[in-house]
Amino acid sequence: MEKSDLPVEAPSVLKQSSYQNIKGFDCVDLENGNDHNRLGNATSDKESKGESVAISESTKLDGQDIAISIPPMMPLSSLSLSLPSSPSGLHIGQTKLVVYPEKCRNTNQNNPTNQNPQISRQKQFRSQPILVVEGTKRKLVRSETMRDSRFDPFKTWSGKLERQISNLRGMPTEEEALEAGETKRHETEEAPGVDRYFDALEGPELDTLRATEVSVLPEDEKWPFLLRFPVNAFGMCLGVSSQAILWKTLNTSPVMSFLHISPIPNLILWWASLVLMVFVSFLYLLKIVFYLEAVKREYHHPVRANFFFAPWIACLFLSLGVPPSIAANLQPIIWYILMAPLFIFELKIYGQWMSGGHRRLSKVANPSNHLSIIGNFIGALLGANMGLKEGPIFFFAVGLAHYMVLFVTLYQRLPTNATLPKELHPVFFLFVAPPSVACMAWAKIQGEFDHGAKILYFIALFLYMSLAVRVNFFRGFRFSLSWWAYTFPMTGASIATIKYTTAVTNIMTRSLSLCLSAISTFTVSTLLVYTIIHAFVLQDLFPNDISIAITKKKPKFSKMLAQFRSSSSDSKDFDYSISKGLEF
Amino acid sequence: METKNQNQNKKPHQVNKETSRLSLLTKFHAGYFRISFALCGQALLWKTLRELSTNARVLRPFLLLLPSTAFILLWSLACISLLMLCLLYIARCLTRFESVRAEFRHHVGMNYLYAPWIAGLLLLQSAPFIGPHNVLYIFLWWVLTLPIIALDIKIYGQWFTRGKKFLSMVANPTSHLSVIANLVAARAAAEMGGKEAALCLFSVGMVHYIVLFVTLYQRFLGSDSLPFMLKPVFFLFFAAPSMASLAWRSIVSSFDTSCKMLFFLSLFLFASLVSRPTLFKKSMRRFSVAWWAYSFPLTALALAATEYAQEVTSEIPNLLMLILTVLSVTVTLILMLFTAIRMNDLLPHDDPFACCLILHRSRK
Repeated sequence: MEKSDLPVEAPSVLKQSSYQNIKGFDCVDLENGNDHNRLGNATSDKESKGESVAISESTKLDGQDIAISIPPMMPLSSLSLSLPSSPSGLHIGQTKLVVYPEKCRNTNQNNPTNQNPQISRQKQFRSQPILVVEGTKRKLVRSETMRDSRFDPFKTWSGKLERQISNLRGMPTEEEALEAGETKRHETEEAPGVDRYFDALEGPELDTLRATEVSVLPEDEKWPFLLRFPVNAFGMCLGVSSQAILWKTLNTSPVMSFLHISPIPNLILWWASLVLMVFVSFLYLLKIVFYLEAVKREYHHPVRANFFFAPWIACLFLSLGVPPSIAANLQPIIWYILMAPLFIFELKIYGQWMSGGHRRLSKVANPSNHLSIIGNFIGALLGANMGLKEGPIFFFAVGLAHYMVLFVTLYQRLPTNATLPKELHPVFFLFVAPPSVACMAWAKIQGEFDHGAKILYFIALFLYMSLAVRVNFFRGFRFSLSWWAYTFPMTGASIATIKYTTAVTNIMTRSLSLCLSAISTFTVSTLLVYTIIHAFVLQDLFPNDISIAITKKKPKFSKMLAQFRSSSSDSKDFDYSISKGLEF
Repeated sequence: METKNQNQNKKPHQVNKETSRLSLLTKFHAGYFRISFALCGQALLWKTLRELSTNARVLRPFLLLLPSTAFILLWSLACISLLMLCLLYIARCLTRFESVRAEFRHHVGMNYLYAPWIAGLLLLQSAPFIGPHNVLYIFLWWVLTLPIIALDIKIYGQWFTRGKKFLSMVANPTSHLSVIANLVAARAAAEMGGKEAALCLFSVGMVHYIVLFVTLYQRFLGSDSLPFMLKPVFFLFFAAPSMASLAWRSIVSSFDTSCKMLFFLSLFLFASLVSRPTLFKKSMRRFSVAWWAYSFPLTALALAATEYAQEVTSEIPNLLMLILTVLSVTVTLILMLFTAIRMNDLLPHDDPFACCLILHRSRK
């Protein structure tokens, strides 16, 4: 699949590189010779054998477009990476995935129109085709189910996506029949190891592709909606449902009665969050059904894995925020039903921390891990609200022990831990969440807001303050859906403050609770406006989910590139040597 | 280095002859105290069960199966095994002092030096004829606890002062033994009325437990130095909070919320470990003395469950207590059976601390 963007004029030193001249280069199965297409030849050559050779478009030396010539017929699709010769840091957008579709019975004979000329600003050079990546791309492109790689089940599901992609590539659909044989050569159906995620991605949420990495799926076309729908979307449910709890507390708490808040906001918000929850869950279920491979990759992503706790936490929030007019007391069975999957998830994740291996905590610790801890405290709070005794203590104990471990690890900022951003980012607000929820849970378990609860509350307050005074540093970040998940700590802190005010009532605590509630409401409404703008006006609420589309193996070419880079310092010489190399 | 090369050159048939000549004392190491550990723990469990209040109706038919003679037998077996192992170890100290020093330097071996004292304290607590306020009890307590304190000072000091032995480097699940030693001593002290001593040992144990817990969960690279044969020691993860729960219960004389929290934590860790059978697969291929490491933690958990069931009298705690007790007894019996059948496998074929010895010699 070629990309045609960047309508930039090429500098003058660009030569057309035609790798067909090089025997064995970029060609896996070369049946015809490479004696055509000398450098600078404009016309395409047709093989006497009837196979067509794809053309290399001529380029004038004076900065016209460079086209990627399609090498002669190969039974396999090969993938070449084109990388600019300059340091990757400067040209992050330049790395592109270029796929050369070559088929024996290719009808791409001499039709430059079919090829989208690759336009680049700089010299690009291509690597040996990497079949493996192509294979995995195929696998990703096809929506996966749990069945093994037989061709026919793929095809039934893959119809949608394959049709899109083959249309763009201008390929005949019969190529798919040929691809069948290659499915055998695919790697096993495993997601990339956690090391790959750290190598390939960067950023505090590990969602930006590094410059030296390539995505397995095309980057500049819109992927199918379900594939773009991340598990972070549950963050929206978290944000809205925690607001429902806040307004319920404002309504029912005696110390805040001076505000005369009616139960209406709670009712509206609760229904809204319920509807949202159902909607998001339904969409994600669809994603599981149709794109299981993508879901698996999300599960193995070190940051996203924690968001798999979010649905259950959102359900717990819904139970906590139930308006009194709907249900005064919930049945304890609901608690057991909600906590069971949480318990199983925790066994898995904490066990991974404990038994070491690739997912040891010192390596994968990041602020999103707080999401896995919070579920414990919220479950304890809900259980204590329902009147249960032992279950809440159980989850509180487990949550507290693991929270200590996580807290220490994150505070240490170990050098092996790469995901904490150097600059501030909204993800840091997740630090505030566990102590504030824990303090509420402990107060409920003990029956009163005792010293333990106060200690936890003050810790939460301190963390909140230390982040709030740095609010200037939070500007200038790209909006993303996961920001919703970061609003609920603020709301949690506000609710904890209200509970604290119930115990210690004076003008300061009242004003503090008022202030914090106002801040959290304001933040959520701003975020709502942003979300609506991005969803309907800008239409980019769900960008391509690059972080799940990383390759399973590091592209080999980057090693070559690194070597070249280290060996030659002058870029001109570099270009020249490359072109020299490519000529032969 | 020369000795190492020589040893390597001697690889083929000569080594076999040499290993068979290696005496019992060389192959023996402090890890064998796991056996007496387990047996003493069992004795304590049986004693506790017999003294249970009659609220535990579920357990009554089970209790009738434990006549007091069986308990006395078990206690005597535990006592004899401990004495034998102690004698063997003393003999090893006298004749192979270098090996003992090498063992002490090893990051796993050094924790097992606590084992005899822990076993002794457990035996003391479960003794059928010595009451906790007996003078003999107090005297024996001091005799057994002073070495623990001495080892504490040495090993805990090493954790944060000595270069090669920083905790981040040497931490492994057997380090829990030092914590368990403190907690067992604290419990014994609380039983005999020494509240201050109990509190002191408890706080020392808990503080180091918190540090150890965090460190082990972080799993620094380079700290994965536990050979797969020793994977059963992972069970010590949940032995420590169980013992802490028991110790705190003895100190405050009731199973309050903190005890419950510690008990639940150990229950969670237990569930977490048994749901990962692949972790133990490799070590289960051959019988070795490391298998005995399964027994004591289960016993400690069963003991804590017993105390919990006495506090919270409802069906689920009783059921929990029953299940855990049965599990612990069964596992110990199976281990005793295996030991009787496969005596040969019990002793390793080579000197487990040979590498440390060689390094030590080469440094001279």
